[in-house]
This record gives sequence, structure tokens and C-alpha cells, in this order.
Amino acid sequence: MYEAAETVSAGVPVALPLESVEAELIRAAQNGDGDAFERLVRLYDQSVLRIAINLLRSPDEARDVYQEAFLKVYKNLSSFRFDCSFHTWLYRIVTNICLDHLRRRKVRKEESTVVQTEDGLVDRISRVAEEHPTGDPERQMWNRQLSGRISLALDALTPRERTVFELRHYEGLRLRAIGEMIGTSEEAAKNCLFRATHKMRVSLETFI
Amino acid sequence: MNCQETQVEIPLYVYGEISSDVEELVEAHLENCQDCGRELSRQRTFLHAVDQREDLTDAALLTACRADLHRAVHTVAPAPKPWPGWFAGLREFSAMHIPFRVPVGAMALVLLGWLGAHYTPERFGGARAGVAEPMFSSVRSVQPDASGGVQIAVDDVQRHVVSGSLRDPRIQALLVSAVREETNPGVRVESIGVLQKSADSDEIRNALIDAITHDPNATVRLKAIEGLKQYGGDATVRKAMANVLLKDDDPGVRVKAIDLLTTHHDDSIVSVLQDVVQKEDNSYIRTRTRNLLETMKASVGTY
Repeated sequence: MYEAAETVSAGVPVALPLESVEAELIRAAQNGDGDAFERLVRLYDQSVLRIAINLLRSPDEARDVYQEAFLKVYKNLSSFRFDCSFHTWLYRIVTNICLDHLRRRKVRKEESTVVQTEDGLVDRISRVAEEHPTGDPERQMWNRQLSGRISLALDALTPRERTVFELRHYEGLRLRAIGEMIGTSEEAAKNCLFRATHKMRVSLETFI
Repeated sequence: MNCQETQVEIPLYVYGEISSDVEELVEAHLENCQDCGRELSRQRTFLHAVDQREDLTDAALLTACRADLHRAVHTVAPAPKPWPGWFAGLREFSAMHIPFRVPVGAMALVLLGWLGAHYTPERFGGARAGVAEPMFSSVRSVQPDASGGVQIAVDDVQRHVVSGSLRDPRIQALLVSAVREETNPGVRVESIGVLQKSADSDEIRNALIDAITHDPNATVRLKAIEGLKQYGGDATVRKAMANVLLKDDDPGVRVKAIDLLTTHHDDSIVSVLQDVVQKEDNSYIRTRTRNLLETMKASVGTY
């Protein structure tokens, strides 16, 4: 019944079922259809994981966020009344959990994932992900250093600025939607993005 | 607009997040100011560099997350559905498989009617009442009268069921009205679903275009685009789709719009598609738009 649902790497549903749109999956899941819930999860879970891992730069925390977010959806789906889009509701849950993680991290002053090495600043997480480097070694080193700088610049943002920048720059969401997700106005989200890009540019100015 | 004002707007201008009025002023200034042009170019270089950050998404992690969730869901019960109300409760009861439920239910209804008619106080219409009470009322005005009483103007709305063929113009008019005015997005989605199967009038097409342009709910807009598939060659529909591609907040809706635009080639939307390639943030949509332009043998950029 729902076999046509697919996602692409950008996390955007591209071939929603012809006869049964997302709303039907939600209704079926609300009526206890576990299969429909799983398909609903798969429409969005790549985007959810991408946001969590890129915001938190920690696979373990991203895994926790994924689970916590979808369990919240599962427990509360029965009260979802289509007052906003499911996507907005889900992203609101995910961004709030990520914001909590980032705030806790600021309080605990956790060690940054960026470290100084003989190759310069490097993001440890990026290094783990790069298992099979290919191509020009100089270019790779430059990319690693740039990636490290970017991570450091992102670390210096407030949790809210970082979230807005992640969602606007990397996820391509509009500020109006981001404001709705993080519970603020479009104008406040604009100010956040403005401050975030300014700080980032100052941090990266000498490197670029 | 002077240089200082323009440079303050540039960080949000590159994201397409300033109002169209300010955007025009910025563009007018940029046409004649090399300094601000260089600043714009530096901002774009910076954003391009930021794009070099490594995306850490990893298929093995996704598989592990899915497995975790699958296990967890089986140990957690979803929150109970809110009490649906007496009427829905009765409907659920009627759906249960209980032997003799039909005759028992009929007897219960007869008894309920008899008790209602005989024991409702007459001042509330009791045994005299010939019509059902209105289901919804709203007070429009309240005015004290000379006798010390009060006159209240009340709008009553009575719910009733209308049934008929999907080809019946009255049914179609009700569905179009639901698409345009109903506050519940679920009803709007269902109405569009029914309309798309049933008819191909201008009025329906216009209602769907209105939904795509103005409906605040992304699921409704997605459904409306689906409903417009049969009008893929229509110039008004294609113009509306191009508008969606430029302005809709939701990437899923923009993807649907490009799906529809791909079905027919139409040179009049080339400039819009070129604009999308320049301004779109989502790389998947940018690639689809670029592919569409190439299929149309149009240049990808504007010169």
C-alpha cells in the first residue's frame, strides 16, 4: 500500500506514494499500524540522523538523538492533529533534543572534537570517517585542515546560532520554518543567522 | 541604499532571506558599486568554503539506529488516543463483533428515544420537539431589551450528511469550498484527493492552484500538486509550479513541483529555472533543475 515511499540523499521525499500521502501513513500509524510507522520513519530518518550528527559531531550522541526523537514521535503520534506539517513537528523535536545536548555540552565544557596535529587543526571525527582517502594528498590535507577550522568555528557559536546555521546553510531550510522549529520568530532567526555567519567568517578569514 | 547599508544586507541576501523590496535596492546598488560587488563575492567564497565541511552521515550508523529503534518501539507503548467523544465511542462499539449487536443496538436506540421524549422537560422542547437541536451555535450580538430581558442574535449551524456522485456539481462545489476554506488540513487533503479523481473543470484547477500558492500546510500543498498532474501542460499550472519552485519553504514541495514541470517542456519557464539554479539551496533540487534545463537544451546560467 505504501511501497512507493523513498528518500534521496538530500533527505527529501521524492516519490511519495501516488495514492497514499504522508497523511495516510500518519493516520495508519495512529491506528496502531507498526509497518506504517516504520515507513513514516524512513521518509525522514536520514535527514534526522544527518542533522544530529552534523550538529553534534558525535556518532554516539547522534544515535541517542535519533532514538529519543522517534520514540517521542511514536509515543505522541496519537495527539498529532495536522495543525502543522509532520516534517515541521519532527524537526522541532529533533532540533530541541540537539539544542539540549549542545547546551549541556557548553555547561560541561566538553572537549572539542578539533585537535591540533602536525598537519594543523583537524576534526577527529572527520578523520575517523575518512577511511579510504583517495586523490591528491596535499588537497586532502588542506581539506582536513579546513574541515577542522570549520568545526572549530562552529564550536564557537552559541547552541542556537549553530542550530540556525546548520539548518539554513547545510539543510537549506527557510528561516521562517527554522523559527517555527526552534520556537522563535523569523526575525530572531535572521539575527541568529547574521551573527553566526559573521562569527564564522571572522574565524575563517585568515584561512580562506 | 549606500555601501554600508548594502554590506549589512549581503549575508542574508546571499541566502535569499531579505524582502523583495530590499533585495531590489541591494541589486540596484550592486550594479553600480564594485566594492560591494567584491564584498558579495567574498561572502560567496566564504560560504563555498564552509560547504567543504565533511558530512559525517554513514550508512552503518543509520542501520544501527534503525535496529535500535525497532527494538525500542516494541518495549514502549504509544500514548493512548485522546477520548474520541461519545459519538465516536458509539461508532467504535458498533464496529465490534458481538453476536446480536444489530438487534440489541436497535432496541437500545428505541429505548433511548422513548426515554428522551418522555423525560426531557417540556421547557427544553421535550416531547414537543420536532427537529434536532442545532449542533453548533455562535452568538453574533447581545442587546438588553426594555423589559429587563435580553435579545441574543445566534447563528446556528446544523451538521448533516450530503451524499452524491462525484460528477454532481453540488458535491464538487462543496469539495472546492472545503479545499479553500476548511480549517482542518486533514479534510483539505481528503477533499483534494477526491477532486483529483473526479473532475477536470477550471474551478477545480484554480482551487488546487490556490492551495499550492496559499495553503500553510505542506502536506496539503503536496497533495494539490499531485492533483494538478493531469494539467501538466497547462500554462497557468506551469507558471504556478515555477512560482512554487522559487518560493515554497518546503523542499519536498519544491521537488514535487519540479517532478511536474519535467513532464512537459515549456520555454516560457526557462528564466525561472535558471533563477532556481542560482538561488536554490538544496543541492538535489539544483541538480534536478539543471538537468531539466539541459533536457530543454537551455543554458544553465544567465549571461
